[in-house]
Amino acid sequence: MAADVLILRIAFGLSLALLIGGAAAAWVSDNALKRIAGGVVAALGALSALAALGAPAALSIAGAAVLFAHVAFGAALAVRLQESYGAVEAPELDRADSADETAEPTP
Amino acid sequence: MIGAYVELARAHAPLLMVSVAFGAAALAMLSPPRLSWFIACAGALVSAVFAFDLAWRLLAGGGAFAFLLEGVALETDGVSVFGAALVSLTGVLALLAAGAQLGDFERRTASVATALGLAVQTAWIGALAARDLIGVFVAAETAWLAAAALLALSAERGALNGALRMLSAGGVGAALFLVGAALIHRSAGTLDLPAIAEAHIEAADAAALGAGLIVLSLALKAGVAPLHDWLGAGFSRANGAAAMIVGAAAVVGALTVLVRVAAYFVQAPAIGEGVSIALAVLGGASVVIGSLQAVGATNVRRLAAYAGAAQAGGVLLCVALGSPAGVAAALVQLTALAATALALFGGAAAGGVRTLEGLDGLGRRAPLAGAAMMAGAISLMGAPLTLGFLGRWRLVEAGVGAGWWWAAGAVIFASLAGVFYGGRLIERLYFRRAGEIYLGGAGAWRFAAAPLLLAAIVMTALGVAPGLLLDAADAAAAQILGAAA
Repeated sequence: MAADVLILRIAFGLSLALLIGGAAAAWVSDNALKRIAGGVVAALGALSALAALGAPAALSIAGAAVLFAHVAFGAALAVRLQESYGAVEAPELDRADSADETAEPTP
Repeated sequence: MIGAYVELARAHAPLLMVSVAFGAAALAMLSPPRLSWFIACAGALVSAVFAFDLAWRLLAGGGAFAFLLEGVALETDGVSVFGAALVSLTGVLALLAAGAQLGDFERRTASVATALGLAVQTAWIGALAARDLIGVFVAAETAWLAAAALLALSAERGALNGALRMLSAGGVGAALFLVGAALIHRSAGTLDLPAIAEAHIEAADAAALGAGLIVLSLALKAGVAPLHDWLGAGFSRANGAAAMIVGAAAVVGALTVLVRVAAYFVQAPAIGEGVSIALAVLGGASVVIGSLQAVGATNVRRLAAYAGAAQAGGVLLCVALGSPAGVAAALVQLTALAATALALFGGAAAGGVRTLEGLDGLGRRAPLAGAAMMAGAISLMGAPLTLGFLGRWRLVEAGVGAGWWWAAGAVIFASLAGVFYGGRLIERLYFRRAGEIYLGGAGAWRFAAAPLLLAAIVMTALGVAPGLLLDAADAAAAQILGAAA
């Protein structure tokens, strides 16, 4: 196997690891900021994977633009959460929301 | 002279149905609240006129419309024009009805909320008209972020929690879509949707993985179970108008885009079987999980959202068949889903209802809202002569024709669950005394919800005379599968 192919495969593997790690953080983290950051890390992993896979530049640019929009909206949302709840911990937010609601089954 | 301009506009209908509405959204954002609502409704209406005209010409005439601009490629096919007409109709009705709930937003954010509502539906229409996966990605992410922002503008802080869930799930979904698109490009050498269906795919496993990631990303945005973590938190605390727009127009838009993209994928010989299996598994899971959660729901909007997830599962099962009959059945089910979502979210918003207890006696306090919700509930049960029944019947027909008996079982399960939670809605609407004070609108603006409620009832009753809908769905399915073949 040629060295450049090996390097590309390693780069793709690392990108996927970044994506999976970020996605896991975005999905299960208790902290709102970590959730937002997890989504950003996952998107960065995806952008790295795009480079490793030789994707068209237009796709990478579109991905970067969407990532920027996520970061901007996430920052605004984090501020609003802190202002409204006085906390950014997801369990606290859920507790505050479900205080007056009956529990429902989850999958 | 005017005729020439009209013809010119019709020739550029795919571009205009997106750009006019986005222009109106920008204008609406800069206007005072009530004026912004008028502008948004006008923009949505113009977009809907273009969408319906395009659907009529393509589905009745069988023509192909391609519009290539520098850097942006729009191309319409059967599913995209059918879907654009459905999403634009849903969006117009939801935006009109939002006029009755505009006061629920803070005055300084009402104009932005109206503009975002229009942007959500327009971006999904843009995704439907996009020729390649880059266009689909950009439009879908625009719609998703606009929907999350719209929920976040709700007066109650609980909506912020829902927006957070949408944002974190959306970030993951965007990453999956990007990697999926890159894998497909590497394997098939193209990102054009029609070309993917015909491309010689070198690495079938990588391409199938890419297609699966894109399907997962879009399924997440469409609220397909078990990827619908954001639904409950997103809808239960949002303003009525925001829940109505996102729950009806955005979910239907996302699901229609998923149907369109999946219809191209299942036609590609190298990846079609893998995508079909993924869709079938996801669809079956969504039917079961969505139905069970709807049975246990105590919040009307969550019940509507979970019932929508169950219906979305049915749509995926239809597409998984990969046949013209399956895609046509998916489009009929999508129409049924849109009608039900409008009825339940619109009725709940018009009646100022959130919990099931709040529904008690609503049929007497707000007759039109009660009638719309009852129509939606009957359709969810799959009662004969409703659109819900028609959609499920078409799935059973297509499924049994392909030897998928288990799909028919899933439909029966969904209907049985629908009888339970739909029946519970009707029982509370008409057979209980009111336990809460009526919170619906009191001024003349409350009549803004009337077109939505009437349309939901009429759409649900389309099962009585479904000829035009079935013909359009059949033509759309034949067109997209024929175009891909």
